[in-house]
Amino acid sequence: MKRQRGVQVIGWVLVVALIAGLQPLNNSVEYDRIVLGMKTPTPLTRMVDFDPTAITGVIMGAALGGFQGIAASMMWMKMEELWDSGHGTWLACLNVMRTVTLLDPHWLEPWKILGWHLAYNLYVETKDPALQAEYLRKGLDALKEGVSWNPNTYELYFELAWTYFDKVRDYEEATKWFAAAIQFPHPEFIERMIAHSYERMPDLDRALDWYDYCLKRNPNDRTARGAITTIRLRYLPAWRLMEEGKYDEAIKRIDQYLEVEPNSLIALHVKAHIYEEAGKDREAFDTWRLAARLSAMDHQARRKTNALAAKLGIQLTPQEQAPSYLLQQEGQRLQVPAHGR
Amino acid sequence: MHAIIRVAAATFHEAWRKRFLNVILIFAVLIIAFSWSLAYLQPGAELKLLIDIGLGTIRFFGMLIAIFLGVRLISDEIDKRTIHTILTKPVTRAQFLLGKFFGSLATVFCNLALMGIAFYVVFLIKAPGFLSSMSSSEATGPGFSTDFIYANIAKAIFLTFVEMTVVTALAVMASTLFSWIMAATFSFFIYFVGQMADFFKTLASPARGTGFTGQIVFNTIYGILPHFEVFDMREAILKGTYVGWDVLSKHLGLGLIYATVIMLISFLAFMNREV
Repeated sequence: MKRQRGVQVIGWVLVVALIAGLQPLNNSVEYDRIVLGMKTPTPLTRMVDFDPTAITGVIMGAALGGFQGIAASMMWMKMEELWDSGHGTWLACLNVMRTVTLLDPHWLEPWKILGWHLAYNLYVETKDPALQAEYLRKGLDALKEGVSWNPNTYELYFELAWTYFDKVRDYEEATKWFAAAIQFPHPEFIERMIAHSYERMPDLDRALDWYDYCLKRNPNDRTARGAITTIRLRYLPAWRLMEEGKYDEAIKRIDQYLEVEPNSLIALHVKAHIYEEAGKDREAFDTWRLAARLSAMDHQARRKTNALAAKLGIQLTPQEQAPSYLLQQEGQRLQVPAHGR
Repeated sequence: MHAIIRVAAATFHEAWRKRFLNVILIFAVLIIAFSWSLAYLQPGAELKLLIDIGLGTIRFFGMLIAIFLGVRLISDEIDKRTIHTILTKPVTRAQFLLGKFFGSLATVFCNLALMGIAFYVVFLIKAPGFLSSMSSSEATGPGFSTDFIYANIAKAIFLTFVEMTVVTALAVMASTLFSWIMAATFSFFIYFVGQMADFFKTLASPARGTGFTGQIVFNTIYGILPHFEVFDMREAILKGTYVGWDVLSKHLGLGLIYATVIMLISFLAFMNREV
């Protein structure tokens, strides 16, 4: 009896010692798995929102083991059914999409649709600017999470860049993500998108560089050829004058074009940029504000208007105020070389 | 040692006579054989889904076999009262337990090997077709590489076997503690929670605002739970990462220590059990 008790004590001590001894090996295995890419890349991201969909997705994933792919496919069919059943099912679709991305994060289609659904469809479903900004943020975050799962293909970088370009109109961010996309095999129009982004920013020298590259790569690229002609005829003379420090002449020159095409957003962006370079913040503010009023979707103009209003101490109307997400700090932005070549 | 081998051999032979295990095996092989037809559910990523379904089936049905076999090992002997006959012979409880464990492990190994062979055959037949009809990234999904794919699949099956060693030990332990239904429930629960071990680490993070007590509780759960998810290397297969034997040996070591700890607890529980 005494011997049996002794064995019990030694046994339990051994159990505790082995469990304690396991931890360094466990850590080492975890480390290897991260280094070799055997571990899922964003375990924290999956849980960070802690919403019921995420929890359900993770539990389902654990329970299904290797059948996650099939479950994801089945759920995607269900999502399409929901989608086709009508307008009121968009939020339900959103939850199913999110679950599918958790179940099969290497399937690109759900990430693309999820990002688009949030940033485009649900964005226009509400008139509340705070909610719109929230949907936009979620759409961008979804695409970023998709990129973290699938970093070796251009597709989600492109989707993210496109959302910045077309929806947020943050051309600086857009060029960075487009530049990331072209690090992988990609369709040739993406380089043109980089040029378009620089043109709208505006950074005309870089825009011309990229259009030039597109034209050299494919002499039949009529879009690039047309864009080069447009930039040279419409904006470049003013831009060159600005570079020479002749700001008044530059403004006169761009105004000549604006008389012909008063609603040209690119021309207004160039004009505002010239004012900024000249240090004329008030005039720059007025020009950005005009661009923002001409196009409700010109978030770049809204962002610039807000930044200059804060600098000049001007009170903006609620409609003119940019959603907080559009006013992100520089430090939060992606830091990758903007010019890929 | 002879006693252990004799008990193991008897367990092994008995296991193959269990009809439900044969049914599970046949069902698993059929799913693997027709996995290529399900691969078309994700157009553009057929090969990825083929690998997912094939390895997923081996893992899932391997787990079912390990648990259903393991949880009845001791309880059946007690219910049929055959345990009295065995333990009156010169067989100690430890030898009996180890014999049962190794016998069921050999059965699980054979089942996994059969499923693995079935998957390899399907893969060798279907994979070239998926690859030749499309470009590599189209056939398999993004960032997919076919480098080391055949070796990695074999290694994934090997890791599944290591994982099932732990699951078998878990089922044997549950069998020494509970009736077989309770033991099965317990084993499934631990297996599924063990798949989400990382979740507890996340919960324990102070960055989440978890209090001191919470940190201790979640870290303890994280430390004690077997981390079954580390035996899943489908990510490496998808990315074409070379997984060296040094890494595999660490996984093997981890699995063996888990199994040793669990079997030790089984022994300590079984030592005091009235049979």
